Amino acid sequence: MDDLNVKNQPALKQFVPTPPRPPRKSEKGIFGTIRHRCFNSIGNSLLTLCVATVLFYLVKHVLDWAVFNAVFIADNRRQCMDISPDGACWAGVISWFNGLIYGRFPVDEQWRVNIGVLLGLVWLLPLMSKRIALRNFILLSWIGLYPFVGAYLFLGGRFGEELGLVHGAMTCLALAFLTIIYANWILSSLGKKGLNELFVPLVSRLVERRIHLLSFVAVWLLVALVIASGLSQVSLEPVPIERWGGLFLTFIIAGFAITMAIPVGVILALGRRSKLPVIHWLSMTVIELVRSVPLITVLFMAVTLLPIFLPADMEFNKLTQVLVAVCLFAGAYMAENIRGGLQAIPKGQYEAAATLGLGYLHTMVLIILPQALRMMIPNIMTSFISLLKDTTLVSIIGLFDIMLMARNIANDKDWVGMHTEPLVMISVLFFILCYSMSQYSLNLEKRLKVDR
Amino acid sequence: MTTSSGNLAQKAVTETAIKIDKLNKWYGDHHVLKDVSLDISEGEIMVVCGPSGSGKSTLIRSLNHLEEYQEGVVSVFGQPLSRDRQSHKIIHQTMGMVFQNFNLFPHLTVLQNCTLGLTWLRKMSERDADKMAMRLLDRVGIAHLATRYPGQLSGGQQQRVAISRSLAMEPKIMLFDEPTSALDPEMVKEVLDVMIDLAKTGMTMVCVTHEMQFARQVADRVVFMADGEIIEVGPPEQVLVNPQWDRTREFLQHVL
Repeated sequence: MDDLNVKNQPALKQFVPTPPRPPRKSEKGIFGTIRHRCFNSIGNSLLTLCVATVLFYLVKHVLDWAVFNAVFIADNRRQCMDISPDGACWAGVISWFNGLIYGRFPVDEQWRVNIGVLLGLVWLLPLMSKRIALRNFILLSWIGLYPFVGAYLFLGGRFGEELGLVHGAMTCLALAFLTIIYANWILSSLGKKGLNELFVPLVSRLVERRIHLLSFVAVWLLVALVIASGLSQVSLEPVPIERWGGLFLTFIIAGFAITMAIPVGVILALGRRSKLPVIHWLSMTVIELVRSVPLITVLFMAVTLLPIFLPADMEFNKLTQVLVAVCLFAGAYMAENIRGGLQAIPKGQYEAAATLGLGYLHTMVLIILPQALRMMIPNIMTSFISLLKDTTLVSIIGLFDIMLMARNIANDKDWVGMHTEPLVMISVLFFILCYSMSQYSLNLEKRLKVDR
Repeated sequence: MTTSSGNLAQKAVTETAIKIDKLNKWYGDHHVLKDVSLDISEGEIMVVCGPSGSGKSTLIRSLNHLEEYQEGVVSVFGQPLSRDRQSHKIIHQTMGMVFQNFNLFPHLTVLQNCTLGLTWLRKMSERDADKMAMRLLDRVGIAHLATRYPGQLSGGQQQRVAISRSLAMEPKIMLFDEPTSALDPEMVKEVLDVMIDLAKTGMTMVCVTHEMQFARQVADRVVFMADGEIIEVGPPEQVLVNPQWDRTREFLQHVL
């Protein structure tokens, strides 16, 4: 170091950075850009014109059929044909719209479906608030508790009778949890402590440890009791599972598959990487077996084979069997996605976790999986989207999901032979659903980028 | 130099922190550690140097069981370590480690990186853990970056976070595995300064490093390794200035 500062050298020049300058802006505008890109030579101009003509005719024909020549109000297909022979007959879809959405759910009880689905969304709403007590448990409760509320609303019956007392109790606990979360949300916006801390002063007098946990349990049980006393007065019209259908049923199956895919996939993926031979081979067998068989086969097997393996007095309805099958199928695919993510995590992360003293479970849950899952968001979302579309296969084994309802339209005596319009309608619906899922995934990717 | 001689004087009465006895390790047929034996006293700053492939990283990683070894015994504060749960507990309670590539958790903020072990293993309340982590981050001069993510920091800053993360678990022994090798020359100094500060607090440190200036300034003893063997051990003045072996001299001519 000392050699650098030789005394006889002249004084150093002082370095002043050049001030920054903004980049030059494009001055062309829209027309300029179009001219520059599409009409910059005779060949390109001709190509542009050709493509524009083809596009124009395509769009015109589609719009003519779907909008301008379409019939929106008619009593049956014959009337449609009489009004406009070469337009779409949306009247049929409109008259069957209710069926497409709710299947054969009794019309008078459809508000329960609406409320149930709405409740599912409302449950997740508090996640928007960053500072809310028990926030970590919202997703967990959605997976573990919300299904009980949903099943109660959709199946109906007298409280605690048709579905059993355990189910009734779980429903109350679930609703109580939701109440506490919302109370916490309001309280936290007022700058106060959560509702679950209500009994802390009381509990701290009785015991010394686990004060917060006990206080939460006490509040939870109390609220659940209040809800139970209210619910026991209510009696909903029972709706058998066979009458569920339409988009509603598609949502239930796809929603279940999507939520269960991650936990099942994580367990299978970790199992496959396990050093214990039994767990390793078991996971690998499940993954490879399920992955190398078409979904239809898995569905058929679940409906026909599962009852054979199970004891005779255990009888599941078709929906439960389908849910198990779809869940297994989704999990096996997800497992390989997640395994890919796990392999991408550098060894140093495991070592750093090990030197801190984190055990296997802590390392996985806190360090490895969050990174692996984030890295795999595009793949996971692709799986979810294909799951949503694949669930329409359940129509083959006789569940009245949206596909089967759509095909039923063509069998209706008023709308005999009407195939195109319902399918177009379903395509549009699925496009909207899948496209918003993919947009959400892009948004998620940006927000949760591992390496910010 | 005054600090190191001060430490030396204290050491006469302190106990052995790490005792390495005839450590042998093979990668397949390749013999990477050959009968390595070394005693490190409490509060001692030990610098391990040597050419690449000499087994110095393997040695330091064997101490906290990141590497398995086939023969020999490592004892920490008199407790011989094996592969059981009890040994793991001793390792995690006494040793912290800093890596060449930092190995920060990229999905957690700087602060969360430091509090992770405190809240999940020590069951410390979030507020206490934050307070403790902030104190450590302040000590290494990056408290103002606590809410950033590791990917937003420079290499030197990341390494300083890594040091705070290890210190948060209150280890008695710190292992440094080439902490400055992945850094730009301008950032080496900020990390070395933190390590020098740490050395002054009386922490037992084992550092694998190529920074001879650092070794000369703070090390109590320098270990020179080549081909899986310890060739020379002694105070820096001796090993670095006046080496006894040709292999050491050859290496020093390349580094200095």
